[in-house]
Amino acid sequence: MAFSDSAEELKHLKRAMSDLVSVLALPAVWSGQEPRQIVMTFHDALMSTLDLDFLYSRAKFEASVQPIKILRTAPLSAASQNVEKTLHTLNRRFEDAPQNWPAEERGHFGGQEYSLLSLPLGIGGEIGIVVASSARADFPTQSERMLLSVAANQVTVALQQARLLSEQKRIAGELEFRVAERTLSLAAANVKLRKEIDDRKRAEEALRASEINLRQIIDSVPGLVCTMSPAGETELVNRPIMEYFGKSIEELKGWTLGNNDAVHPDDLPRVISDFRHSITTGTPFETELRLRRADGVYRWFKNNGGPVQDTGGRITGWYFLIIDIDDRKCVEEALRASERNLYLTINTIPALAWSARPDGTAEYFNQHYLDYLGLTQDQAQDWGWTEAVHPDDLDGLIDAWQFMTNADKGGECEARLRRFDGIYRWFLFRTNPLRDESGKTIKWYGTNTDIDDRKRADEESRRSEARKTAILDSAIDCIVTINHEGCITEFNPAAERTFGYRRIDVLGKQLSDVMIPPSYREEHRQGLARYQATGESRVLGKRIELTAVRADGTEFPVELAISRIPMDGPPSFTGCLRDITERKQAEQELRRSEAFLAEGQRLSRTGSFFWRVATEEIVWSEQLSRIFELDPSLKMTLELIGSRMHPEDLFMLNDMVEGARYGSDLEREYRILLPDYTVKYLHVVAHGTKSNDGQWEYVGAVQDVTDRRLSDEALNKARSELASVSRTTSLGIMTAAIAHEVNQPLSGIVTNASTCLRMLDSQPPNIEGARETARRTIRDGNRASEIVTRLRALFKRKEVATEPIDLNDAAREVIALSWSELQSERIMVRQEFDEDLPAVRGDRIQIQQVILNLLRNASDAMREIDDRPRQLLIKTECDDGKNVQLTVQDTGVGFAPDAVDRLFESFYTTKQEGTGIGLSVSRSIIEAHRGHLWASANDGPGSSFAFSIPHDYSSEPN
Amino acid sequence: MMNPRSLVSIVDDDESVRESLPDLLKEFGFASQTFTSAEAFLASDGISRTECLILDIAMPGMSGPDLQRELKRRQSKIPIIFITAQRDESVRTQLVESGAIGCLFKPFNDTALLDALNAAFRVK
Repeated sequence: MAFSDSAEELKHLKRAMSDLVSVLALPAVWSGQEPRQIVMTFHDALMSTLDLDFLYSRAKFEASVQPIKILRTAPLSAASQNVEKTLHTLNRRFEDAPQNWPAEERGHFGGQEYSLLSLPLGIGGEIGIVVASSARADFPTQSERMLLSVAANQVTVALQQARLLSEQKRIAGELEFRVAERTLSLAAANVKLRKEIDDRKRAEEALRASEINLRQIIDSVPGLVCTMSPAGETELVNRPIMEYFGKSIEELKGWTLGNNDAVHPDDLPRVISDFRHSITTGTPFETELRLRRADGVYRWFKNNGGPVQDTGGRITGWYFLIIDIDDRKCVEEALRASERNLYLTINTIPALAWSARPDGTAEYFNQHYLDYLGLTQDQAQDWGWTEAVHPDDLDGLIDAWQFMTNADKGGECEARLRRFDGIYRWFLFRTNPLRDESGKTIKWYGTNTDIDDRKRADEESRRSEARKTAILDSAIDCIVTINHEGCITEFNPAAERTFGYRRIDVLGKQLSDVMIPPSYREEHRQGLARYQATGESRVLGKRIELTAVRADGTEFPVELAISRIPMDGPPSFTGCLRDITERKQAEQELRRSEAFLAEGQRLSRTGSFFWRVATEEIVWSEQLSRIFELDPSLKMTLELIGSRMHPEDLFMLNDMVEGARYGSDLEREYRILLPDYTVKYLHVVAHGTKSNDGQWEYVGAVQDVTDRRLSDEALNKARSELASVSRTTSLGIMTAAIAHEVNQPLSGIVTNASTCLRMLDSQPPNIEGARETARRTIRDGNRASEIVTRLRALFKRKEVATEPIDLNDAAREVIALSWSELQSERIMVRQEFDEDLPAVRGDRIQIQQVILNLLRNASDAMREIDDRPRQLLIKTECDDGKNVQLTVQDTGVGFAPDAVDRLFESFYTTKQEGTGIGLSVSRSIIEAHRGHLWASANDGPGSSFAFSIPHDYSSEPN
Repeated sequence: MMNPRSLVSIVDDDESVRESLPDLLKEFGFASQTFTSAEAFLASDGISRTECLILDIAMPGMSGPDLQRELKRRQSKIPIIFITAQRDESVRTQLVESGAIGCLFKPFNDTALLDALNAAFRVK
């Protein structure tokens, strides 16, 4: 972006920074908010910060929930004229898969042209999208794009956190609900059990009462007495008989069986048969029968009779005692039914029922009991059942039972019983004695109730209580509970430490008086009152930050989450508080240092990155994204970086990735090519360290050195121009060789001039020949003066110094000196040195000059190469045991086959800026060292230049 | 006595030498032929007729001294005048010691060449 002056730029920068800070502050506002609120505040912030016509967001969390779609328009904008239509268009436009969303485009809404910038929420837009739009043609500017992208990142993070928070809350709520439900159902089961036991007791009492009643009835039955003749005719009856039948004695006399309706017709045949038998045989008569009372009602009677004999043994008559057993009969019948019923009940109720004798030995077990123990009635008899009692509980149970029988008083006791399958479960043994009228115990009845679940629940509840206490005691957060009146009911040790009160001192006190600064107390009371009245709360279930006060009056920031304790009755609340003084400070520090870092990175145009090689995980700083002009929300990958690399430098990336597998430190300079074809020069430095899992991790910095590089290039150009001069100057030692180049044309001039003179002097003068030689002289003279002008000052004569030279060392020095130049030309240098190379004799500087010249030629030959790597191979070898050879191979433009002869001619050059003396000078130097310098074309692209020098130069020449 | 039509061969990779020397030699009264390299000279049929050789020292491929050694090996008695653009006294000394008539540093004047040629034919 261009600015008219620095004041304008500063103003703009300030504005952008302050916008950035306000966007960065959004997460503090969002903490604990619902997703919709987050998106709304996000819209508020951006609409008030940026000059937008409308802002549209779509965010979705779960497949089941409708996405949040929000459109905010600027007042007076064309979009605000028809919000419905705009929203509809946007909904449809961005309904697609995220990869189909246009990043930026210009479009029409409501007849007005708009620039759109869309930013995916989430790495791949999986959460949704934000679309910002403005009618301005320059929208989005660089800073707007950056702000929107930072804000979109922030809102993505906030939305993800909100989702996480709501999920946690939902799970916690569900858990508490389940515990409460289970507790309630256990309590209900206990109540039912108690009721069943009470009912059973009442039933037993009723039975006992009826038995007593029965006895009383039986005892009070008046006897009916009558006598009969030996033939079986009624003779005498007692009063009750008369009363019963409602007949006078006269009427009753002469009754016999069968001549009246006194006997129930159903009983009559049996009674007649029995009676005849008794009369015939003279044996006592005993029967039960129904007799018709005066009112027509039949009642049961027991009829006992016997013969009355005279002294001679002759039967003189019969007497009968007839006892009304009708009540007993009924009771018996009822009892039988009741017993049957009881038996069924006892055997079917899901309790273990039993009875015992007064001495404590067991008498009866219901079927359920026997099935449960897996014993037969006989096996369980007496003390047999104790075999199923848990050994640890047996003594206690026997003691309790003996105590009950001794005290003759019912009671209860708990013990484990072994089920048929070997599992022990807890039972409650309850007994009650059955007493006769005198109060003597005649039997014991008992039930055993399975209380295993309750026992476990009790145990669980005890543990849960202990856990809760432990949590409360050890919690780092302050946990405070209050009842509906706002009085403190719990105050854990962390709260004691944080607030400086002892639990004992604050229990029962008003929360607001203890923990809330005076200025907020009224608000708290109103909030509590409002909740009581309407059930509305601004704080429940949220994470809020507020100010609290300590016992000593100091105020400090806390984070607070309040939830209602899910119990019946008046509401009570639990609050979880955390002193966030340090966090606040740290947040502020962090924000400040992040701002510093971001600003620092921006100002120094340096981005940083973290790279885990094995997983290809790459984390970029925002500035790095800015340098690469990539969306910071994109996930960085090597492919993405590769897409920005300058095609010629792509191999460097591959090279770096390869090197990184072995942890080598990276330092490179390479170019990136942006979509608008701008080229940036970047300098990367990265250091690798091994992580705990043995993988290489790189932390590095990337600096945009474009400006420096461009000025460097200009400088370099100047420098190399200078160098081509100073290089030769510094090599005064080369003068002899240079002289060769100069003397060659001079030689022609002198020869021609001499010839010319001689032709003119001859008789007759050879005018034609003289003219020709003169012409040549002038031509060569001009050529030579050109050379001389160029070289005059550069060369002076000096003897060749000879010393032993290690060609490898000499070459290495030259490479080191040329390194930055080669780097800036983006040339990869490969070295293949024969380390056993013998020394050669000669002038080190001259030889190095030749190597330098060959390197420069190779570099120049590759300057225009863009379609393949610029690679340079420098190789030394001992060719045939006598000569040492150095080859410089390039992948450059090469030379035409017919040019090879001219390559070494002085001033022959294919280069625009070349003097054309390099190769010929080099050849002269090598030849002066008794060596050869030659060129050859490669099999592939480029050419090779090589020289060889005898290593036993000292013995030459002869 | 100098034979006016004696053949002088010139071996030099430098074109200006090959262009200018024959005219001067002609003025001196010699016939001449030029070769661009030592190899070309050895391959020619002019060796036997050559009565004097003007030979450049530094050339691509076979150098002047190489050719001198090769001729010596072939028992050739052709007198050799070295010419060189490399002004190195130690080289001249070595070459003269190895049997050359002389060694002229380019550019040389016509008199120096004539003296050397006279010396060559005196030897012969």
